[in-house]
Amino acid sequence: MPTIGSVHADPYPWPYDGTVPVSRTALICIDWQTDFCGPGGYVDAMGYDLTLTRAGLPATAKLLQHVRDLGMLVIHTREGHAPDLSDLPANKRWRSARIGAEIGGPGPCGRILIKGEPGWEIVPEVAPEPGEVIIDKPGKGAFYATGLDLVLRTHGITHLILTGITTDVCVHTTMREANDRGYECLILSDCTGATDPGNHAAALHMVTMQGGVFGCVATSDDVIAATEA
Amino acid sequence: MPTVAADPGPFTFDPATTALLVIDMQRDFLLPGGFGESLGNDVGLLRRTIEPLAALLTAWRAAGLTVIHTREGHLPDLSDCPPAKLRRGPMIGQAGRFGRILIRGEYGHDIVDELAPVAGEAVVDKPGKGAFHGTDLQALLGGADRLIVTGVTTEVCVHTTVREANDRGYECLVLSDCVGSYFPEFQRVGLQMIAAQGGIFGWVAESPALIKEIAR
Repeated sequence: MPTIGSVHADPYPWPYDGTVPVSRTALICIDWQTDFCGPGGYVDAMGYDLTLTRAGLPATAKLLQHVRDLGMLVIHTREGHAPDLSDLPANKRWRSARIGAEIGGPGPCGRILIKGEPGWEIVPEVAPEPGEVIIDKPGKGAFYATGLDLVLRTHGITHLILTGITTDVCVHTTMREANDRGYECLILSDCTGATDPGNHAAALHMVTMQGGVFGCVATSDDVIAATEA
Repeated sequence: MPTVAADPGPFTFDPATTALLVIDMQRDFLLPGGFGESLGNDVGLLRRTIEPLAALLTAWRAAGLTVIHTREGHLPDLSDCPPAKLRRGPMIGQAGRFGRILIRGEYGHDIVDELAPVAGEAVVDKPGKGAFHGTDLQALLGGADRLIVTGVTTEVCVHTTVREANDRGYECLVLSDCVGSYFPEFQRVGLQMIAAQGGIFGWVAESPALIKEIAR
């Protein structure tokens, strides 16, 4: 049984309980969607620097291949709403309209953040393989109003490795939810990214305070070096 | 409808469907000589919130509006403390100057005297950083659709709770003078993250502007 343990991480060698079987660990890939990081997606169309949200793609693609070879559970998430917008809170819609990217409105890759539209799909670099779990979520956190907790418990997962975008919004919200539920979390600095580099750095720094208030920070190479087949 | 000048834009609310949330203003975090200070933190950075928060509570109560307090803590046998949390916070449950640290029923776990709940105000005990996970908060909020969020610490329990609330469709106004962090950098960036991208998690304002509106 492959194991993972003593990952070189900040602020302690991850995980807290030494070395665990890969079968109890999941890699979570959060919201690598065209609208957030793909050429022609709405973040691109809004004029943000796309290299910031794409920065983590090569390292995540490499890590994905590594953990697939080990047999680790891989879970992808997508933020999106039903075409009739019945699961879209009014304030979320209002705020998105206010900044010129109304959810459900026409975007460069179909209706913005609507399930089934091209912009809502995961980019090819880190696309799910058959058999991998995909969680569709209406919020920033991947636990609220989804089956993620059930999927993790059904698989006996106790440890999570987090990649995705954006660091300070969906990745952080999910990490906080997971932490409160008792999952031991590791966020990867080179497999995440944000539209504001300052927020990316601060979000990672926050994780490490108070002895690792939400878990630990490491790089994908640290994880690869700490796995044994 | 009352409206407060806020970042990134005006925050409008109906007081009847707006609740004031006071997060974790507990002795363990705020008292000199307590748990927070024993970790090397400057509790003055948190204590600066007490005075404005007390003034807000007075005004909010005078208007007859809803107040909900939260406390982070665990059962005496620690059965509700996840192993991953306990291993990273081995002082939880240990004897501190104000009783066993972060244990329900201990003196240090309770709210500071200046902000003590009054009769009729709900107190939510939470095992995590977020006030929604593992609690009755959503039921207690009933028909409320807006939250005024205060308390400590900005980037940990306040942020986690605002993120939970936002995903549940609540509109959150975070009061910068009524939330505090042991780390000035996180206070600044924590507030900045809330109002970023058109208010991705909510709004940020200062308490005097809100007090003025509800005192009308």
